[in-house]
Amino acid sequence: MGTISTAFSIISGALDADQAALSIVSGNVANANTNGYTEERATFQENSPVTINGQTYGDGVTETGATSVRDRVLEERIDQQQQMASDSSARLGVLNTMQTLFTPDSGSSSSTGGDIGTDITNFFDAFSTLEGSPTSNADRQAVLSDGKILAGDISNAANALTEQQSAVDQEASSVAGQVNSLTSAIAQLNQQIQSTSPNSDAGTLEDQRQYDLNQLSQLIGINQITTEDNGLTITTTSGQVLVAGNQSVQLTTGKVNGLTHFFVGNTDITSQLEGGGGELGGYLTARDSDIPTAMSALDNLAYTISTSVNTQNSAGTDLDGNAGADIFAAPTQVGGSAQAMSVVMTDPNGIAAAASGAAANSGDNSNAVLLAGIASQASTQLNGLPPNSYYSDMVTALGSTITEVQTENTAQTASVTQLTTQRNSLSQVNLNDEAASLTNLERSYQAAGQFFTIMNAVMASAINLGDQTAVS
Amino acid sequence: MAGEQKEMPELKQLVREASEALARLDAERLEELAQCCKALNRNWNQELREDKSSTPEQAELARQVREASGEFVIFTRVLQATRANLDVMRRLRAMREEQLEY
Repeated sequence: MGTISTAFSIISGALDADQAALSIVSGNVANANTNGYTEERATFQENSPVTINGQTYGDGVTETGATSVRDRVLEERIDQQQQMASDSSARLGVLNTMQTLFTPDSGSSSSTGGDIGTDITNFFDAFSTLEGSPTSNADRQAVLSDGKILAGDISNAANALTEQQSAVDQEASSVAGQVNSLTSAIAQLNQQIQSTSPNSDAGTLEDQRQYDLNQLSQLIGINQITTEDNGLTITTTSGQVLVAGNQSVQLTTGKVNGLTHFFVGNTDITSQLEGGGGELGGYLTARDSDIPTAMSALDNLAYTISTSVNTQNSAGTDLDGNAGADIFAAPTQVGGSAQAMSVVMTDPNGIAAAASGAAANSGDNSNAVLLAGIASQASTQLNGLPPNSYYSDMVTALGSTITEVQTENTAQTASVTQLTTQRNSLSQVNLNDEAASLTNLERSYQAAGQFFTIMNAVMASAINLGDQTAVS
Repeated sequence: MAGEQKEMPELKQLVREASEALARLDAERLEELAQCCKALNRNWNQELREDKSSTPEQAELARQVREASGEFVIFTRVLQATRANLDVMRRLRAMREEQLEY
């Protein structure tokens, strides 16, 4: 709710502040028929837009300096939004795949990770059943069977996460080659533009450079700095130079702890690229943050269940009158516990249902009660939660992250769509069209602002209603 | 009155459509949706005023709002992006005007 109310208050303030600005712009648009505009119109009417891979550019237009500057600002804004949209889109793809590991089809356990939540419940319920018949071979066997299902599903989920991380790593690695091809091409275009049109628009060369920049923006987060002689310097969003004039700097890769890292010269810029925009930013966020977070949670879960159950079993007496042995493979450290989780006990008699010191076949169930009780035992390793709640929180957190990234991606994609619409209308280079286009943008914004204001009021009153309803 | 309300679209549909209309800058549709939303709000307020103990209406409104909240967050983000885009277009307009003042 905090995020929602924060977003609402930001936009509420923005709408208030915008009323004055809208009036001013209305005045500007009303002046579109001044002599200056009329004289310039002819210059801008001879257009024949060219479409390259579905994107329209103003090739063939006799552009003035104003047009050149205008287009570049707009293109930079599109590139910036595209970088963010590509980042969230790449990350979202990975997150959705992750979610399938933890979301079994309804009524079955057909996902890779099975249904770990149900597995945890079933495993500890099996101990509860054993309480009622501590010498029953069938009930003892059920504990081991349910333990194997739980361990298998956690291990499978962890293995699937590792495989996914490896796949994402390969995707990220392949982006570097594409980035290098584009930065080389842009450096070459810079040279041509600077030598042929240092002080004016370079027509198709500029269009080609812009096309390459659009492509680059889908791959990596960049900043563009226009130089005096119509050149362009490109840096990563963290400031590493990729193109300066006619020189491009190659992005190199190398393995660090089994994962691809990215270098400019000798500087490792991997962490700076994470979340910095483009597909690469999204892949790196997923690879270095989202997947490790889920893996760490699974490790915590596996480590806690394995050690708690083993410790409690060793505190009791098994059916043969011996001290209880390990049920699960004993983890030596938290990291890697999920992948290594397995049931090592083969003889169901080894389950120590009876208290320490009890005779063989005693029928005592006191340790089985304690083993079943682990299900509701809060653990420091699990943020003070019992196993099932911890797992549930992990899945909920993943779902929330997906919702958040999906929201961002939808908004960013919408923004790119808006800007592309504006660019296409500007490419017609007709001043009247341009004014109409801006007016439509303002009208849409104002109408959306009205919609927001009304909806915000409805939301506010209904939130109170919800409270009243809950109380009654 | 109750029959009319049942025929009204779900709040979340309205909000989703508003986001889509804003993405494609469909000003007319946005204006229609704003009017629709205004009417919806008026109807609800009237019903709630007429019967303060009418918990089914309150519950229905609360349910629709809960379900629409996610869509409204998206709409708010699109609106924020639109505002930023509008700023860019205004700056471009200003630059263009400066260039033409000779």
